Amino acid sequence: MHQHPHPPVDTGLTTALDHVFKVGVGGPVGSGKTALIEALVPILLERGHGVGVITNDIYTQEDADHVRRTLDGVLDPARIMGVETGSCPHTAVRDDPSMNLAAGAELVERFVDIDTLLYESGGDNLTLTFSPLLADVYVFVLDTGEGDKMPRKRGPGITDSDLLVINKIDIAPYVRADLEVMARDADRVREGRPVILTDALRGTGLPEVADFITSRRRACSPSA
Amino acid sequence: MSLLAQLQLSDSAFPGGLYTLSHGLEAYVQAGPVDVAALLEDVLLHAAGPGDATALVLVHRAVREDDWDTVVAVDQRLHAIKLNRELRAAATRTGNQVLRTAATVFATPELFRLMELVGTGATPGNHAVVLGTAYAGLGVPEDGAVTGDLYAFAASWVSSAVRLRRLDFRQAQATLYGAAPAIERAAAAALAARDPLDLYAATPIADTMSCAHERAPARLFTT
Repeated sequence: MHQHPHPPVDTGLTTALDHVFKVGVGGPVGSGKTALIEALVPILLERGHGVGVITNDIYTQEDADHVRRTLDGVLDPARIMGVETGSCPHTAVRDDPSMNLAAGAELVERFVDIDTLLYESGGDNLTLTFSPLLADVYVFVLDTGEGDKMPRKRGPGITDSDLLVINKIDIAPYVRADLEVMARDADRVREGRPVILTDALRGTGLPEVADFITSRRRACSPSA
Repeated sequence: MSLLAQLQLSDSAFPGGLYTLSHGLEAYVQAGPVDVAALLEDVLLHAAGPGDATALVLVHRAVREDDWDTVVAVDQRLHAIKLNRELRAAATRTGNQVLRTAATVFATPELFRLMELVGTGATPGNHAVVLGTAYAGLGVPEDGAVTGDLYAFAASWVSSAVRLRRLDFRQAQATLYGAAPAIERAAAAALAARDPLDLYAATPIADTMSCAHERAPARLFTT
C-alpha cells in the first residue's frame, strides 16, 4: 500500500499540448477580444503557423460561432472550439483550467499541425489572469469605450499581463476618451511593459501584436 | 495521511473541471420548477449510487487485488450505462484531467498503470474509476472513499443549484445535510456490489432531460 507522500516529479506526463504555444486573451466584455483573435488568425496563418482557437463563453457558444462565421474560408471551423465555463471565467482559465486544457488537447490531437492555440477568456472586468499551465503568453484587452480612466484602475490584468492592448482607438473621440492619457497611464502602471494601441476591425496595430506574439514564441520555445 | 489525501482529492478545489457540471440539474431548471432536494435524492439512489459510486468500489477492490482486467471491465460498463453523449464526455474529460493531476501530485504506481491503459485507449478513464484507483493506491478505506465521493457529488449538486438560482447558500447547506441519509444508502448499496454487472443507472426522465440539454440554445453547465 502506498502511504507516503511524494513531491511532484517529472512523471513523463507531458503531452502534445505542452509543446504548443498558447496565447491567452482576456479583458472586459465588449473590449474586442473576439475581434482581436479574428484579426490575428489570418496574420498567423500567413506567417506559416497552424492555428486553433478556443473560446470561453459562460452561457452560450456565441463567441465560437462568431469566430467561425468571421473566419469562414480562412480557418477550418473544426479548429474552433467553445468551452461553456459554467461559472466565472476566473475559474475556467485560472483556478481550474482543466476543461480548457482538455479542449486544447482534443484540438491538438485532431489537428497535428497546430502549433499555436489562441484562448479567449469569457469577459471579465480587470482582475482576470491566466494559469501559467494554460497560457504561455497573456494578452489583456481594454477599449477606449470603457473610459480613459481604465488603466488607472489597475488590477492584475492591466498591470501584469504580458501585453496590454488598448482597442477601438477609432471611437476614442466619440466617447471622450483621451488616448494620450490612456497610453501614458498604461505605461506608468505597467512600469514599461508593452502596450499596443489597436483598431482590430481596421487592422491598426495588429502586425505589432502579431510581432509581439512571435517574439514571445521564440522566448518560450527556442526551437520554434 | 490517507485521510488527508482523500480530503484533497474530494475537495472541489482539486482541479478536474467539476465546476462545469450540474449533473443534469440545469435541464430540469430550464424545463420548469424543480424540487432540488428530492431530485438529488433520486439521482443519488438511482444513478450516482448504482453507477459511479459502485464503479468506484469495484475498481478500488480490483486495484487492491491487482486485477486490471476488472478495472477495464468496470470502466467500460460505466461508460456504457451513461446513455447521453454529454454525460459520457463529461465523465471522461473530468476523469482524464483528475488522472493527470493526481498522477503528478500523488505519483502512485496504480495511477501510472491507469494512465497507461487510458493512454493506449484500452479504457475510457471515467471520473469514478480514476478516483477508485487513486483511493486504492493511497490506502483510503473503501467505505470512506465511496462516502466521501458521494458527498462530493452532492456538494457539487447544491453548488450548481446555487449558481442556477434555485437555492440560496443557507438552503444549499441544509439540502446537503438533508441528503446524508440518501448518501449513506447509496454508499451501502455500492459497497454491496460484487460484479461489474451490478453497475446500472435507472433514470429515464433524467436521461431524456439530458438529451434536451445537449441541444439547449443557452446553458451554464456542460451537463
